[in-house]
Amino acid sequence: MEKKRNAGFETWLMHIFLVSTAIIVLYPIFMMVMSGFKTNAEIFGSPFAMPKSFNLDNYAVIWNTTDVPRYLINSTIVTVISVIVLLITGTMAAYAISRYKFRGSIMVSLFFLAGLMLPLRLAIIPLFVQLKAMGLVDNLMGLIMIYTAMSLPSTVFILTGFLRSLPSELEDSARVDGASELRIMVQIMVPLITPAMVIAGIYNAVPIWNDFFFPLIFIQTPENRTLAQGLTSFFGEYSVNFGVLYAGLTLAALPVVAVFILQSKRFIAGMTAGAIK
Amino acid sequence: MDDSEYTRAKRRRARNLKLWLAFLLAPPAAILIIFVFLPMASAVVYSLYDWNGLVRKEFIGLDNFADILFNPNKNVILFNAFGNNVKVFVTLMIVQNGIALVLALLLARNPRGFRFYQVVFFLPVILSTVIIGFQWKMFLNPIFGLVNKALHYAGLSEWALPWLGLPETALPSMLLVNSWHWFGFPTLVFLAAIHRIPKDFIEAARLDGASEWRIAREIIWPLIAPAVTIIVVLTFIGSFNWFEIPYIMNGLEGSPQGSTDMLGLLFYRTAFGSVSAGGSDFGSGSALAVLMFIFIFIFSIIATKYLTSREVEMS
Amino acid sequence: MANIELRGVSKQFGDVKVIKNVSLTVEDNEFVVFVGPSGCGKSTLLRLIAGLEDLTKGEIHIDNARIDHLAPAARGLAMVFQSYALYPHFTVAQNMGYALRVAKEDKASIDKKVRAAADILQLTDYLDRKPKALSGGQRQRVAIGRAIVRNPKVFLFDEPLSNLDAKLRVAMRIELTKLHRTLNATMVYVTHDQVEAMTMADKIVVLRDGMVEQIGAPLDLYNAPDNRFVAGFIGSPAMNFFAGKVEGFVEGGIEISLTEGAPLTFPCTGSGLSIGDAVDFGVRPEHFCIGQGADGTLKGEVYAVERLGGETYLYLSSSSQKELVVHMSGDHQVAVGDHVEIGFSIAQSHLFGPDGQSVR
Repeated sequence: MEKKRNAGFETWLMHIFLVSTAIIVLYPIFMMVMSGFKTNAEIFGSPFAMPKSFNLDNYAVIWNTTDVPRYLINSTIVTVISVIVLLITGTMAAYAISRYKFRGSIMVSLFFLAGLMLPLRLAIIPLFVQLKAMGLVDNLMGLIMIYTAMSLPSTVFILTGFLRSLPSELEDSARVDGASELRIMVQIMVPLITPAMVIAGIYNAVPIWNDFFFPLIFIQTPENRTLAQGLTSFFGEYSVNFGVLYAGLTLAALPVVAVFILQSKRFIAGMTAGAIK
Repeated sequence: MDDSEYTRAKRRRARNLKLWLAFLLAPPAAILIIFVFLPMASAVVYSLYDWNGLVRKEFIGLDNFADILFNPNKNVILFNAFGNNVKVFVTLMIVQNGIALVLALLLARNPRGFRFYQVVFFLPVILSTVIIGFQWKMFLNPIFGLVNKALHYAGLSEWALPWLGLPETALPSMLLVNSWHWFGFPTLVFLAAIHRIPKDFIEAARLDGASEWRIAREIIWPLIAPAVTIIVVLTFIGSFNWFEIPYIMNGLEGSPQGSTDMLGLLFYRTAFGSVSAGGSDFGSGSALAVLMFIFIFIFSIIATKYLTSREVEMS
Repeated sequence: MANIELRGVSKQFGDVKVIKNVSLTVEDNEFVVFVGPSGCGKSTLLRLIAGLEDLTKGEIHIDNARIDHLAPAARGLAMVFQSYALYPHFTVAQNMGYALRVAKEDKASIDKKVRAAADILQLTDYLDRKPKALSGGQRQRVAIGRAIVRNPKVFLFDEPLSNLDAKLRVAMRIELTKLHRTLNATMVYVTHDQVEAMTMADKIVVLRDGMVEQIGAPLDLYNAPDNRFVAGFIGSPAMNFFAGKVEGFVEGGIEISLTEGAPLTFPCTGSGLSIGDAVDFGVRPEHFCIGQGADGTLKGEVYAVERLGGETYLYLSSSSQKELVVHMSGDHQVAVGDHVEIGFSIAQSHLFGPDGQSVR
């Protein structure tokens, strides 16, 4: 009896802890969204009340008078192209490393893995000089190349693991069937690792979308800004209009959150992929 | 056909395979070399030269390093920033990862609403640090911020402080924000590690009458060692590269009074110039980057070595 | 259809010699089985023929044309893999037609050939399914169908039945033999299971450590093994061996003594043995009888009995032998602990010299 009541108490405690953590996470986000519908007067006068009306005035301000839509487009371009280039080149490298025995293959895989250990931010100065010489400063292409290079090691790492697990008899069978190496890769093997490619894609797409360090240094003209970076200038402009600021944050968060809610399992698997052996 | 033609045919096949491998490896290797390895190597070279803004002047050996480390006007700032990074690491290890471990242990018991909690705890992780930084900067605004408003409503007006404006509270506030941002990540990594432990182990212990606390300490903790290793190393790297939150919430100078200054901010100021550091100095900036890299690299290796030594094989 | 000829074939992985100078011929329409313990190189030999591995030395000819420099697909052969290696994201029909699609045959002719093969293998109802939705036996048949569709000169099988359960394996054994007869094709089949080898082969190649131990028809290997290894490998349960010594020579034979029982006279010609040589005397479990034997008798104590009704296995230990297996047809009332006499005849026994070679 004694023990049972004790267990009940523990469970109760556990639920309190979990529920309060969930509230601590959700309430600020909820407040951010709600404040986006409020006027400054409402925010200062009755900060915790529900908005008087769910009008989109603040969003209209953002849409009509700021560059935020432009930032959204830039971020989308940079993220999508980076992830596509990344997955193509990453798959190529991972395929060569995992499916062929060749002299120096260990060296090659160490070469790609070494990239995991190098914090590229610390090389920002030479990178800046180099990109300037290549005409890639203040250019979305420069960001795309940096993000692709930065994300290659983890992509190769994740995909190599999956590719290694595919049975070699599949490849042999395709070879006997007369398929070329390219065809074996594209038609037989790569379709079998699409789940891994989704994981590697998400793992890198989220930090690329959210990054603000590299644009801060490499992008100068407003029309080339990405969303995360653009928000900083947006905050400078509208520093006194809290309603618009909250609406801007909500708008910026919306795309990632929407995809996350729809694909939470893959997101969680993807984002933790690098940390789970 | 004579014999040499057969060997030639074989050689042709071998060569085609080599070309194919080169085709696969060359593009990714080129990208990595040009945009990661080359700049990393250049950083070392840069650090050995005297720079006048963006113009490279003569080779000066380790003078940049000596200047950073031993020039009494500069190293005060460096050591202050370094000390703050240490505080960041220690606090995040205890608060952020500690909470994460507790949450993971609770979620491992598969409570009602498991999926919901999983998604909710991970939600801040996917948000941009910029969004979170600004959001909390607004919440912590001394007059209009929700935090102080809430304290007023609760009748705790004397507790309402300019959180980001006081040297004592600025860094702790930021660390709480950072924990709010990231705790879901270690939680789910720990949880995945716990789920990997064969159920028999835990059930056998339960049948032996072990308490939940004992199970957590004596069975789960040692068996999730690999995940702990990874989280410690990632937290370390994150702490010593910490930049976004302090930059967004309190600016480049680490105000107030350097209490939120970090190596990352100092590096940025040195490299690209600022009010306090003056113009851009690529030499000192690169030297600082090299020092940070060496420090992070060595610690990561030592930590990995030390922590993996306590890992046990499960199977 | 075609014959295959291996001339001095060797394969080395780094410093490890896996195949050592193997020469053999597979006749047109023959069903040849490579058999041997795991690690003997039988699968590697098959992969060399398929072109999935490169030769280190030697030549391979199919249909009297050298092919070892060609890519696998250009050799005109098809292979069935142990894991079946079905492409998981293709349907059965796509799996079976893949080679033809790669060869750019037109759709109608691919379809026709796939349907014809599916007909033979009773797969017509499953053509639109993915491999995941098939049973083990069906997957196995798809793998075979994939080979048939290509109408190859040679079929290669790499332990194709080892992933099936015992009952299905027997059924597939019979089906494969039937298929061999219908298709009239040359087939090379690798297995570690000597029952498969004995039941299906026209010719068995016994391999050990990358070398050929013996080539011959199944019953030739059973009745007249060339050496102690083949004698022990073919036949189940394995042959019993007794240590012996050459005592002397008589007209048309030699005299040997075993560590137990009376000395024996073993008929042979030109054995190359000398007095005092250590020899192994072998008797198969099924060649023992209970009671006095025609040429010799041993005594032992029963420590285990397996009575299956139709047959009985006795496990004995004698003064010289820890484990002796006796296999008898029918049921025998023997109990553990019984002391029994078992007899044998010289005609159904084997003798091996110190080098392991048969003495005949």
